[in-house]
Amino acid sequence: MLLGIDVGGTFTDAVIIGEQQVVFQAKVPTNHDDVLASILQALDRVLNDIDVKKLRRVVISSTIVTNALTEDKVEPVFLAVMTGPGMNVKGKFPVEPYYVSGYVDHRGKITARTDWSRHRDLLNRKGSGSCAVSGKFSVREPQNEYLLKQELKKCGYQKIFLGSELSGELNFIRRTNSAYFAAAVYKVFAKFCEKVQLALAQRDITAPVHILKADGGTLPLEAALNQPVEAVFTGPAASVLGIEALAAPERNSISLDVGGTTTDIAFWEHGLPLMAKKGAVLKGYPTAVRSFHMRSIGIGGDSRITVTDEGYKVGPLREGPAAAVGGPTATLSDALITAGYVTFGDTEKSRQAIAAFGGNPGEEAEKIVQAAVRVITDTVNEMLADWAKQPVYTVDDVIRGTKFVPQQLIGVGGGAMGLVHAVGKAMGLPVEIPAGAMVANAVGAALARPTLSAGLRADTTEGFYIIPESGKRQTLPHGFNMKKAEAVLTQWLQQQAERWQLPAQETELISSEHFRTIHGYYDTGDIYNLRMQLKPGILHKVRGREVEI
Amino acid sequence: MKDTLGLVFFPAFDWMISQTHPERQERLLYTRDQLEEEGLFDCEEIKEYRPRLAQINDLQRAHIGMPAIARLITPAHLASAGGCLTAADAVMRGEVKRAFALVRPPGHHAMRVVHGIRGFCTVNIEAIMVEYLRSKYQVRKIAVVDTDVHHGDGSQDVFYHDPDTLYISFHQDGRTLYPGTGFPEEAGSPGAWGTNINLPLLPGTGDEGLHRLYDGLISHILEDFQPELIINSAGQDNHFSDPLASMSVTAQGYAKLADKLQADIAVLEGGYSIESALPYVNTGIILAMAGMDYSKVVEPDLSMLRVQDKRCNQRVDQLIEQVGELYFSREKTKKQLLEKCGGVWRRRKGIYYDEEGIREQQLEAVHYCSCGGYFTIQTAAEGTRFGDQSAFIACIPRYACAKCRQQAHDEALREKKSGRWQYVFVQNIVDGFIETV
Repeated sequence: MLLGIDVGGTFTDAVIIGEQQVVFQAKVPTNHDDVLASILQALDRVLNDIDVKKLRRVVISSTIVTNALTEDKVEPVFLAVMTGPGMNVKGKFPVEPYYVSGYVDHRGKITARTDWSRHRDLLNRKGSGSCAVSGKFSVREPQNEYLLKQELKKCGYQKIFLGSELSGELNFIRRTNSAYFAAAVYKVFAKFCEKVQLALAQRDITAPVHILKADGGTLPLEAALNQPVEAVFTGPAASVLGIEALAAPERNSISLDVGGTTTDIAFWEHGLPLMAKKGAVLKGYPTAVRSFHMRSIGIGGDSRITVTDEGYKVGPLREGPAAAVGGPTATLSDALITAGYVTFGDTEKSRQAIAAFGGNPGEEAEKIVQAAVRVITDTVNEMLADWAKQPVYTVDDVIRGTKFVPQQLIGVGGGAMGLVHAVGKAMGLPVEIPAGAMVANAVGAALARPTLSAGLRADTTEGFYIIPESGKRQTLPHGFNMKKAEAVLTQWLQQQAERWQLPAQETELISSEHFRTIHGYYDTGDIYNLRMQLKPGILHKVRGREVEI
Repeated sequence: MKDTLGLVFFPAFDWMISQTHPERQERLLYTRDQLEEEGLFDCEEIKEYRPRLAQINDLQRAHIGMPAIARLITPAHLASAGGCLTAADAVMRGEVKRAFALVRPPGHHAMRVVHGIRGFCTVNIEAIMVEYLRSKYQVRKIAVVDTDVHHGDGSQDVFYHDPDTLYISFHQDGRTLYPGTGFPEEAGSPGAWGTNINLPLLPGTGDEGLHRLYDGLISHILEDFQPELIINSAGQDNHFSDPLASMSVTAQGYAKLADKLQADIAVLEGGYSIESALPYVNTGIILAMAGMDYSKVVEPDLSMLRVQDKRCNQRVDQLIEQVGELYFSREKTKKQLLEKCGGVWRRRKGIYYDEEGIREQQLEAVHYCSCGGYFTIQTAAEGTRFGDQSAFIACIPRYACAKCRQQAHDEALREKKSGRWQYVFVQNIVDGFIETV
C-alpha cells in the first residue's frame, strides 16, 4: 500500500492506495501555523484500520517550503559567486553576492584560478549555518566551486550548497538562485523533515519517506535535504499527477483543476503533462527548479462576483462558500447553479443571491459564467501561443513548428465542475470528468514516481566527459560515441536510483546533440550533449471514488 | 519606450555548407552556450523571438535567381531571411526598441543576380529585410552599416543604384582579403553617388583605429544622411582571433561600437572564431543593444591581441579626409556624373563565385528619369549547377513612373525576340514578383 499526503491551501488530504484503487481517504482543514499538525491529523484518520507494516512508501506534498518563502521565514544566506567576464549580475540575486575570482570558459577550461590573496577577508570570515556558492560554467568544470567550498567550510559554514549540484544545466543565474534558495530554506525544511520522521517512527511506520518535487517527481527525504528548494510549488504538481492517475489522458488534453479560489491549467500529450521549458520563478528570481507547463488563475467555485464598468468580474477574492451552502454572497458556484450547469445545495438561495444584481437571474447568471469562461479561455490561448512560439534552433523544427492542438478538456477539483463544461462549450472541446477528483492531489502524491534526470557532456578534443549531476569529470575512453555516451549515462542514472533505493525504472533520452569540432578546416573531435531521465509519471493508475468531508 | 531588445536567435544546428566548412553546425554552438549560461534569455530587457520562414517573393524583392531562387536555396535560407523579417516586424510594431537577428546562414556577399553560393552566402538577408521594410512599412531612407571584416560586395551590388540606401562598409583592405573589392571610388552609380561608402582598413587595425574612424567620419555621415532606420550588418570577424582575417578588434571594441551606432536592427554576418570571439562579441553586442552594462565582457584570453601599428591610424585619418570630401560633395559630383553619362550609365563587371567556381560576366545599364529610372542587367555565367546560364533582366524600382515601367517591359520583350538569352526576366522590386518574358 502507498500513503500520500497533500497539504493544500484549504484542506490537507491523505489517501491510502491499494492494488488498483483508493482504499482510504481523509480531508482535514489545513492549519497554516502548524502544517505538521495537519499532516498528522489526516494521517491518523487514514491509518485507523491499517497494518502500517504493509505500507511500502509515504509521499508528502507540503507547502512548507512555499510558505517559508512567501512569509519570508528564511535564513540569511552568504552567497559567493565566480562570475568571470560577462553580464553584470548586480540585482540578479536576492542578496548582493561576494565576488570571488576564478573562471571556467564554455568549453570547461579553467581560464583563471581563484587568487586567494585577493580574498583575505573571505578566508577570515566567521560563518555559521548554510551558504551558497556558484560559478559560471561550473557544470562543465566544478573544481573552482569545490575549492571555494573547502575554504568556506573552514570558515564554519555547516551546509554549503553548490550551483553545480542543484542543476546540471546551463544558466548560471538560475543555478545561483537555486543554490541561494536552497540555503535559505534549508533550516526550516530540515526541521520539518526531522519532525516528520519522528512522528512516523512513533506510529511504527518504517516505509521510506519521499518528498514530492515541483516537477512531479519524488525524492527520498535524505536526498531532498540536499536540494530543499525542489520541494516548492508541489501543490500544482500533485494535482497534475492526480489527474494522470485518475484520468490518464491519452489524447492531447488541457486539464482544469478548479478549486475554491483558483483554477490550475495544464497541458497533456501522449498521456504525460508537458513540462515548462524554463525553471520556476521564486520571489521574482528565475531558478533552475523544473516544473510543469501550467498556469494558476484566481477563479474558483467560491470566487466573489463584482460589477465593473466592463461587466461582471469573477474573483480573485473569496468571501466564504457559495450562497447555496450558506455563504454570505453570490459566488461563481451560485451563478453556475442558477444558469443550470450544476445542481447542489439550496438552488433557491443561489437564485436569490444572483437576483441581487438585478435583471433576470437566469440571464445574469449566464453572463457571470461567461465572464469566468472568458478569463480561462484567454489564459489557455496565451499558453497555447507561448507553446507555439518557443524558440527552436534547427531548420527542421522551424518547419515542423511546436503547435499544441488540444482535443479534449479534463476537469477535476470539487470547486465548479459546471465551469469546465462551460469552458468546453466555449472552446468547442469535449469534456471528461474522472471520478475521485476531490482528493486528486493526495492520490497524485501517493503515486508519484521518483524522477531523476542527468546530463552528459563529452568533448573529445578536451578529452573529458562530465555528468554535472555527479560532479565528477572523467577522462574519455577511446572510441567514444553517442551510443557509448547513452550507455554511460544510463548506468549512472541506474546506480543513482539504487543509491536512493528507488524502484527499478526505464531510462529515456530527453535530448541529444552531436557536433563535430573543426580547427582550420580539419576535424579535431566531437562534442556530445545529452540528457536522460528515469521515465517520469505515476506508478500505476487507480480507480477513484467520491469522498465525504 | 523602455530599452528592450528583440533577439531572434537561430543557430541552424542542422545546416552546413560542407563538413569542414566554416559555415557548419558548430558555428554558433559556443555562442548558444555562453548566452544560455549568462542567463540572457531571462533578462526582462531581452525578448526572444523564433524566426519565421520568409516567402519566395520576400527574397525576390532583392534577388533574381538563375534559373529560379527557389532552386538555389535550402530551407535554412528561408529561416535566416525570415529571422530578419521577424526582427523587423518586432521593431516596426513597437514590441521592442531594437532587434538583433543572430541567425545563420549569412548573406552580405549575395548579389542581386544569384547563380550559386559566394562568400558563404546565397541570399542577402539584409537586402531582403530592407526591401521588406519599404514594402510593408513604407520606410524610405535606410542606412546599412556593415561591420564585417570582408567587404559586403553583395550588399553594395544590390544597393548600388539606390539613393535611399546609405551603405557604409569598413573592412580589411581588399588587396589583402576576400572578396578584393570595396575601395572608396566604388561610391554608387551616378544617380546614387555618395551613398555607397567603402572604408578599407589596414590589417591589424584594432579598437583604437575603428573608433577613430567611427567618431571622425561614420557618425558624421549618418548624422547628415538622416536615415529613418539604421541597420547593422554585424559581422564579427574583425576580432583579433578570427582565423580568416587579420584585424585586432576586441569584444569591447564591438560592444562600444554597437552602443554608439544605436542600430534599430542588427543582423549577424561573418565571424569564424567561433570559440574565442563569437561567444563574447555576441554577448557584448546583445548587452549594448539592450541598454545593459557590457563593460565586463572581456575575452578570458587576450594573449593573441597585438598592439595596433601606427600606420593603421594614418590610414584611418586618410580615409576620414578623402571619403569625407567624397561624401559631403556628393550632390555636386552626382550632377556632373549624370550630365556626363547622358541619360544611360553602363558598367561591365566580372563576378567570381568562390564556393562553386562560377564565373559570371555582367553588363549593367541604368536608364535615368526624373522618377529615378530603371536598370537592366545582362548576365552570362559559366560552371553553375545548372550548366552555363545567361539572362537579360529588367529591374523596376519601386518609385518608377509608368513610362519607365513600359520602357523596361519593351526592352525585355525586344531582348526576348533577339533570341540571345536563355532567360528574360522583369523584376518588380516593390512586390518581389518576377515575370518571365
